[in-house]
Amino acid sequence: MTEQNGSALALAEKYYTQYGLRARELKAAGRKIIGYLTAMGPVEILTAAGVVPFRLKGNVAEAITRGDAYMETIVCPFVRSVFDAAVKGKFDFLDGLILPHQCDSIDRTSDIWNYDLTLPYFHFLNVPHMTDDPSFEFMKEILRIFISSLEKVTGANITSEALAGAIQAHNDNRRLIRELYALRKSNPPLISGTEMMKVLVAIMSLPVDESSALVESVIRDVKQREVAGNGRRQRIMLIGDQIDDVAVTEIIEAAGAWLVMDDISIGAKMHWADADASAEPVHAIAERILRKLKLPTLAESGTTYNESVDSRFGHLRRHIDEFNVDGVIHIVYKYCDPYGFEVPALKNFIESNGTPVLYLEDEYSTSALGRVKTRIEAFLEMIA
Amino acid sequence: MAEQRKARQLATEAAVKVPKIARANLVATVKAKEEGKKVAYAFIDSGQEEIMRAMDIVPAWVESFSGICSAKRDAEKYLQKAEADNLSRSLCTYATCNLGFDMWRQELEGEMPPGAPWGGLGKPDMIIGSGQQLCDPRFKWPQATQFYLRDVPMFLAGLYYPPWDPTLDEKEFKEQEKIYVNYTAAEYREQVRFCEKYTGKKMDWDRFEQIVDLTDRTWDLFVDTYELRKAVPTPMDTGDAMNTMVPFAFNLATQEAYDFYLALNAELKQKIAEGKGVAEHETYRLVWGAGLPSWFALSDFQYFNDKGAVFPVEITYRNAEKIERLELPKTSDPIEHCAWRRVKFWTHWYEKARKRPGSLPKVERIIEYLEGYGCVGVVFHSAFSCRSWHAGIVQQAQVLRKMYGDIPVLIMEGDIVDISAYNEVDTHNRIDAFIETLEARRIQKRP
Ligand code: SF4
Ligand code: SF4
Repeated sequence: MTEQNGSALALAEKYYTQYGLRARELKAAGRKIIGYLTAMGPVEILTAAGVVPFRLKGNVAEAITRGDAYMETIVCPFVRSVFDAAVKGKFDFLDGLILPHQCDSIDRTSDIWNYDLTLPYFHFLNVPHMTDDPSFEFMKEILRIFISSLEKVTGANITSEALAGAIQAHNDNRRLIRELYALRKSNPPLISGTEMMKVLVAIMSLPVDESSALVESVIRDVKQREVAGNGRRQRIMLIGDQIDDVAVTEIIEAAGAWLVMDDISIGAKMHWADADASAEPVHAIAERILRKLKLPTLAESGTTYNESVDSRFGHLRRHIDEFNVDGVIHIVYKYCDPYGFEVPALKNFIESNGTPVLYLEDEYSTSALGRVKTRIEAFLEMIA
Repeated sequence: MAEQRKARQLATEAAVKVPKIARANLVATVKAKEEGKKVAYAFIDSGQEEIMRAMDIVPAWVESFSGICSAKRDAEKYLQKAEADNLSRSLCTYATCNLGFDMWRQELEGEMPPGAPWGGLGKPDMIIGSGQQLCDPRFKWPQATQFYLRDVPMFLAGLYYPPWDPTLDEKEFKEQEKIYVNYTAAEYREQVRFCEKYTGKKMDWDRFEQIVDLTDRTWDLFVDTYELRKAVPTPMDTGDAMNTMVPFAFNLATQEAYDFYLALNAELKQKIAEGKGVAEHETYRLVWGAGLPSWFALSDFQYFNDKGAVFPVEITYRNAEKIERLELPKTSDPIEHCAWRRVKFWTHWYEKARKRPGSLPKVERIIEYLEGYGCVGVVFHSAFSCRSWHAGIVQQAQVLRKMYGDIPVLIMEGDIVDISAYNEVDTHNRIDAFIETLEARRIQKRP
């Protein structure tokens, strides 16, 4: 991949706008592309098998017109939107799909993805919700089952060496992404929230080496920017699951704030955790997904309330301090039980530390944006 | 579960007695402190009650409490409380109803909120939830509860069964099944350790073994009793089963539950001998395909019955199978036995699905009931706030039609607790239209 016609950010924009473009090119060049959903996608294993991991996304600007014939409207709107895109053939280049058990919206629809998309390969990765020792042992078994199933379908021999190499490549990639995040710490941040969103989305459609090359180029370009003035605006952090469109980031920034940090599942949630390169590879991958990803669908057992909130939300406090955040916008999709049940505790945890939180229940659709815009503007005014 | 607004005209005596049992369960949670017992917030269908019973922990069934609030049309005030604390109306309303109740009690510094149904639910000493295939609220709801009841310790077990994968052969599947059983057993053992820690007592393994045996026998008796409903006319329908499930769901692992099904068994045999059916003229036999009912509108079952439609069988709350049909491996370890029983219950339709390419285990279960109970149609209820039972209904209906032929299906829409999602006139109109379809088929099929 080279940076044709302009800067790295322009390339990111291209892959963001024409999502899946590069995967199609790679497919035409003979690569196998395997799709996955959510931050729990076992990307290291896919990379080790020599296939391109491609994270599926929906389209907030497109109405769900075909998916509803298969999938009930009580399913989370993100999942429905992705499924709608899939039945419309938007991902017709996929050689297979992996659905990790993140939440009910995914688990309870897995038969629908499997049957109604008729992809050559489908695997439901039954990630447990608990993180205790028996769950950890189980998680390793689940990954081993997945590895042998993937070996069968790709013909690849997924060796420990290949897995170790993939772990290294993905760790390097995440380190670079965190380096890019660090460029948002300044006043003003060197990269805007909207630009960052485009990069984050673009790279989820690329093989890891291309992703790292793109992020490195973005870092180089961004570092060359002049720090303009010494203005001070509200520094905002965005929390949510699959927020993967600039619609919201643009609203925040157009209202005069800087979006400097996130805890979304295509962003910091997934890029802050590395797999332990010195450990046995399956152990390291299991540990990363089950014990390091800070998703509300993973829970510790036997804890007191304080221990529980600290392990669930402690990283948010660290982000708030490190990125000097003034306010948090927490967006939860309708029908999302895992995030929805956390709202009072999460809000309380952050607010008790002096940072205001705006909680919004939203659709994965631009149709409801007017209401979101009004609420965000009012919030920013309130904390100004 | 529950008190119905209008008693069903032909309800079994057993079903009529159920509100008393449900009420006694609530009272037990309030009285436990006087008796020196610990109370645990508990969730049905988790297979965790045998450990609780063996350790004298009184389960406070949170879903039951919300169901009762709903049946009494008294849930709205709790739902509003939860909503005021940013718990969305789209979340599981069993959970939000109960959380609203907990919030209120905390505001009253531990006093029972005034007018709580049947004296309310006792404050728990612990919460025993689980992460599993059944639903996210089983572990998110306990976490949310802990936000309001901060001093209450929480245990969550991972309890999974292998996902349906038609590409696996028998051997591969069996290997995976064993992994799930080992994991489930390990989690039950974790639960024992947790309960020992917070009760200060050691598990009495002999007692546990007896309780497990009693549960096995109750499963068998429950299934035998429910299979009596194959008789024509059927002596009991789903309207009643939504009550008679209470001892199975909430009193399992007790002698009381076993005795309840003995009495129900005798009653159904008597009705069969007398030729007494649910409807005055039983014309259409239907499967209640999936979905929790609208507890505030159980009289809809009466509406079906009045039109000659009966439900001799349902998927909902029938979470048992004859132990011998599950073909559990022999083991002297009761925990391992419980793990096998749980996993096998969920997977025992897989073999049938494998034999009918293109089918699904959930659909095989419906077909088994359609054929076994001589039914001519399927009714589902889609409750908006629960993805667990209600996502995938459309697909089940589609696959059923493909695998089994063009069978009439009705999908009703509503909720379990939130009455604002229900429209009686609409619902009845849809039932009328469905009955017309059934009638047209019946006439067509007449020789
Ligand atoms: S937004 Fe919630 S319901 Fe939707 S995929 Fe994410 S965790 Fe699941
Ligand atoms: S199964 Fe459905 S109704 Fe029951 S607790 Fe889970 S989400 Fe709620």
